[in-house]
Amino acid sequence: MIVLQNVTKVYPNGTRALDDVSLQIDEREFVFLVGPSGAGKTTLIRLINRDTSPDSGNVFVENTDVTRISRREVPKLRRRVGVIYQDYKLLPGLSVRQNVEFVLKSTGEFNGRTSRWVDEALALVQLSDRADHHPHELSGGEQQRTAIARAIVRRCPILVADEPTGNLDHATSWDTIQLLVRINALGATVLMATHNREIVDTMRRRVIEIANGKVVRDELGGGYDG
Amino acid sequence: MTAKLNVLRYVLGAAMLGLWRNRTMTLGAVVTTAVMLVTLAAFLAINDTLNEMVTALGRKSNLIAYVRDDARPSRVTEIMQDLEQRPGVGEVVFVTKEDALRIFQERFFDQRDVIDILQANPLPASVELRMDDPAVLPALADELRGMTAVFESVAVPLDVVERLVSISNVSRAAGTAMIVALTAVALFVIANTIRIAVYARRQEIEIMKLVGATDWFVRGPFIIEGAFIGLVGATLAAVALVVMYLQVAPTITRIISFLPIATDVSFVRNLAVFIVLVGLVVGSVGSYVSVRRYLAV
Repeated sequence: MIVLQNVTKVYPNGTRALDDVSLQIDEREFVFLVGPSGAGKTTLIRLINRDTSPDSGNVFVENTDVTRISRREVPKLRRRVGVIYQDYKLLPGLSVRQNVEFVLKSTGEFNGRTSRWVDEALALVQLSDRADHHPHELSGGEQQRTAIARAIVRRCPILVADEPTGNLDHATSWDTIQLLVRINALGATVLMATHNREIVDTMRRRVIEIANGKVVRDELGGGYDG
Repeated sequence: MTAKLNVLRYVLGAAMLGLWRNRTMTLGAVVTTAVMLVTLAAFLAINDTLNEMVTALGRKSNLIAYVRDDARPSRVTEIMQDLEQRPGVGEVVFVTKEDALRIFQERFFDQRDVIDILQANPLPASVELRMDDPAVLPALADELRGMTAVFESVAVPLDVVERLVSISNVSRAAGTAMIVALTAVALFVIANTIRIAVYARRQEIEIMKLVGATDWFVRGPFIIEGAFIGLVGATLAAVALVVMYLQVAPTITRIISFLPIATDVSFVRNLAVFIVLVGLVVGSVGSYVSVRRYLAV
């Protein structure tokens, strides 16, 4: 589903964000990506939806080398990969429902059929009754759930999350994780970068640890510290 | 197909919403565009009037080549046929000695006795040229002066011709410079308005890109906004132009009747259509430049 082959990414300031990284994530896997700040987690996530390109190596998403696709094909890739961010990236002027609809409208896919997808996504994240609220009227957890609804509304086969619980309290973080687990159970491949030790240690899923741009551990059923 | 229609609807909606959100800037850009286009239209009207004047006065400034009495008539006919083919030459007329005498008698009625005193007709026959383009006159005159076997002398109202040609050249150059400068200003203002619109919506743009919107889906609204600003500004300018034409032109014509101001409806209509097209193009190009530059999609 997601394959990195000898990927190296060096930023213009000389930072070696990823250094000869190779890994493979299979369909329907749930993977935690851990490591200290600046280890390269965000870079790795950005490579998957072609938000950035590596200096060398290949990145395969659903058997397509996304480092070789043209600009015109990037939107097609991004419609297959839902992304969740620590800062939610919701549009403040739009309601919860409108934020979710925005994805479908941005690609011209919004119609009677897909408006049901919006209802389903909102039901899954339990925000149906808050659909007309604006982001500033919501708690952090609700905002993140809106972002998750937005990421899954198009029924993407891949969901990547960059520290989705980074701004959330303990209980809300667990709600968010439960939600991602459910989405994974519904068939999506989930890759989640996190600093949340408790969640990783409790969940016992596959853990990929990066340090200084290198994969230092890749363990099934691992904990935060290995 | 439905997806395309949805996209179109979204792009148009987003463009209108963007214009409304930035309404102060929008208004400023519309007014600037309108002012530049009114100035452009006024200039084009003035230039047209000047050109008309040059042409009208140029027509009057004939070249007259006086034919020697002993010149062969067939040679004169030959030269006239040649002259008729020359670029810039409008009309070639042969004035016989008799015609010249009659014209003289009509024009100087009170002095017609002067001729009667003479036994023979002293006036030479002549070839008169009415020009379409006075600019070629001097060269033509030199050429005819060289044909000493045929023409005894060639008369050209040179100073008038030269002055007219230079006025027309200067006005054309000044006009071109002005049009270039004004277009640059309008382009700059529209490009800047769109830049601010891009900045105001950077969050929206970022999210659109991340969720897989196509480049044109992101760019479309901004291009439409620029085109809309250009179109509305141009429409205002066209309305102002028509009003000025209806109100002002008759007054000027009444006061300075010799000015060949273009007073026909088709001229103003064409000018208005041209202005609207210029507005549309300037608006679209201005926003396209801005989107290319400030929108990294």
